[in-house]
Amino acid sequence: MDLILQAVYSGLLQGGSYALIALGLALVFGAMKVINLAHGELVLLAAYIAYTVESKLGWNPLMAIPVAVIIVTITSALLYFLVGQVKTHREINSLTLTFGVGVILTNLVLMIWSADVRTTSSPWMQEAFVLGELYSMRSEVLFFIVSIVLIVALWWWLSRSWYGRAVRAVSSNRDAAKLMGINPGRTELVSFIVAGLLAAFAGVALFSYGVITPAYGSVLTVKAFIITVLAGLGSIPGVLIGAILLGVAESLTITLFSSALQELAGMGLFLLVLFVMPNGLFGAARRRG
Amino acid sequence: MHAAMPSACRRFSTNPETFENKVETMNKAKINAKSVALALLALTGAGSINLASAEELLVGVQIPLTGPLARVGMGTQEGIRVAAEVFNKTNGKHTIKLITVDDESAPAKAVAAVEKLASQNVVAITGGYASNNISPASDAAGKLGLAYVTSGGVDDGLVKAGRKNFFRINNTQGYQKALVGLLTDLNVKSISIIYSTKDATHGLAADVEKTLKAKGVKVAMHAFDPLITDFKPILNKVKLRDKSEFIAMVGYENEYVGILRAARVLKPNVKGIAGVWSLATPKMQADFPDLMPNVYGTAVLPFPVQFSTPEGKTFAEGYKKLLNKDPDYLGQFGYVQSMLLFEAIARAADAGTLKKGGVIEEMRKTDRQTLIGRVQFDANGDNKNFTQRMGQHQGKKVELVWPKEAATAKPVYPGVPW
Repeated sequence: MDLILQAVYSGLLQGGSYALIALGLALVFGAMKVINLAHGELVLLAAYIAYTVESKLGWNPLMAIPVAVIIVTITSALLYFLVGQVKTHREINSLTLTFGVGVILTNLVLMIWSADVRTTSSPWMQEAFVLGELYSMRSEVLFFIVSIVLIVALWWWLSRSWYGRAVRAVSSNRDAAKLMGINPGRTELVSFIVAGLLAAFAGVALFSYGVITPAYGSVLTVKAFIITVLAGLGSIPGVLIGAILLGVAESLTITLFSSALQELAGMGLFLLVLFVMPNGLFGAARRRG
Repeated sequence: MHAAMPSACRRFSTNPETFENKVETMNKAKINAKSVALALLALTGAGSINLASAEELLVGVQIPLTGPLARVGMGTQEGIRVAAEVFNKTNGKHTIKLITVDDESAPAKAVAAVEKLASQNVVAITGGYASNNISPASDAAGKLGLAYVTSGGVDDGLVKAGRKNFFRINNTQGYQKALVGLLTDLNVKSISIIYSTKDATHGLAADVEKTLKAKGVKVAMHAFDPLITDFKPILNKVKLRDKSEFIAMVGYENEYVGILRAARVLKPNVKGIAGVWSLATPKMQADFPDLMPNVYGTAVLPFPVQFSTPEGKTFAEGYKKLLNKDPDYLGQFGYVQSMLLFEAIARAADAGTLKKGGVIEEMRKTDRQTLIGRVQFDANGDNKNFTQRMGQHQGKKVELVWPKEAATAKPVYPGVPW
């Protein structure tokens, strides 16, 4: 029983981490129907900025958040300007474009930070947080909370703020939104900037409890994409539910069967949800209402 | 007036130039064009095999410099570069010139890299990392008649495939002997082996399991997907279900760090933790000082490095001079494999068999002491003398603790990083 409880607890925290990584991708996907294949690399860029701040200045990785936010949002905005140049078949052509940008970013990271394995050396972040019989790292709990806060904030922004509603309007019907006085270009830029901000938080979190290497970006993108589709197009609460489902499914698979089946279990869940609910857990059918 | 006239007009000019003069002028122009073309060829490097001095021999380096294997690829490449530098300084007759192609850690790119190198007239290939990349790349080299030498693939399938051009200086058995030897000396009765599902790691873990079970040790196996990020569920199984007294890790640097971190959080009641390659290194000590104390790993040399042989000293000096740092085990392997290849190439060049499969023949005759011990290749190209040693992170040092005859310190046991 202890094994199962620990597996669910670890899966829950892992799900929070996945949600944080997937949020930015889900936002851009929902707003522009663009699958940003460089999203994982943006997260990784933030993680390496956290590494630089910690290793060069000796600061806690949390102190890297402002720097990471500035650099990653600027990079994300630049990426938007590139995607904005794609005038025809944007869904398909932007895939190729963002994939190319991802490759460039990976090599840039490799050139600047080398191929060495990096992780935080902050003892506070790595120390055990014990909850009864359940164990985790402090950083995992901290960023799980951050993840929930950011999801609530994003949900509030999309449903209550003017820009958030503009993003939803552009996502729903670009031309109609334009007629209502919304500047679609600016709105899409804002969604890329917010996605960059979320990627910055995700990167610092990743560095604080995980291990990073330059080639890790594509793995993050794939994971984020699975969660985005699992959640349903552009559904923010769905991202959290989908991510936690995936995290718990993987963790239980490791505990009850084998870690070698972990990715298979994730993919199995992904296919099962799509088979039963083709629009994802919180897909378009619900949102139209 | 005439000089300023365009050449097209010149053809119709009434200049009383004789036919002979025209022919001579044309011949001179042809000679000049030839000279210019040759000079251009020389400048661009094309046809270098013909224009380079007879002693300059091109050697291809197919190695991952980007992708998931970039770290180990770069480490090995450093040793290869030092080997070329040292060889060129010490061998008075021949000069080695390296041509490097990044295989991007992908099998298809590894094959393309070998084909590209062959098109540039290299006489042999050194490099390669990960058995799944080395296998197709060495096949491609074999089809092109090129010797292929590596230290990056320990999967036994590589030497069982019957390739005539393939040589490797290390193998699973060497790592297995060292790990099992240490565990036997420590009198370990139960062990949990946490291993990656990749070919090489899976093969080594299975061999260690078989050998330990034969010795009566209780073994629990835990395979993990290379994409795993959270090792806590595995470590929790070790802690609550296996209750082993020792953990062995068979994986790579990022995975060791993940496992050790999870172990530090869950603190399973074990007496020791060991890994294989890439673990008992000064780099791991420098990068993860909180995770490494008392952890064992395979090692050729202690740290700080102590070279006693003249070749070892030359290698260390060359490394320091070229790269401004102390050598590590990857550089050491890259150096040894390449130096053996360069020496075989030189012997083949002297015998005039360079283009007739001479490099492969000379590699097969290799028998000499190197930085990793005596190297001799069997009929399958495997180094039949390869044995690793076990090191342990003790303070800021990596001490050799197994075998006893090579030990620089006694093992700290029981001892864990927390």
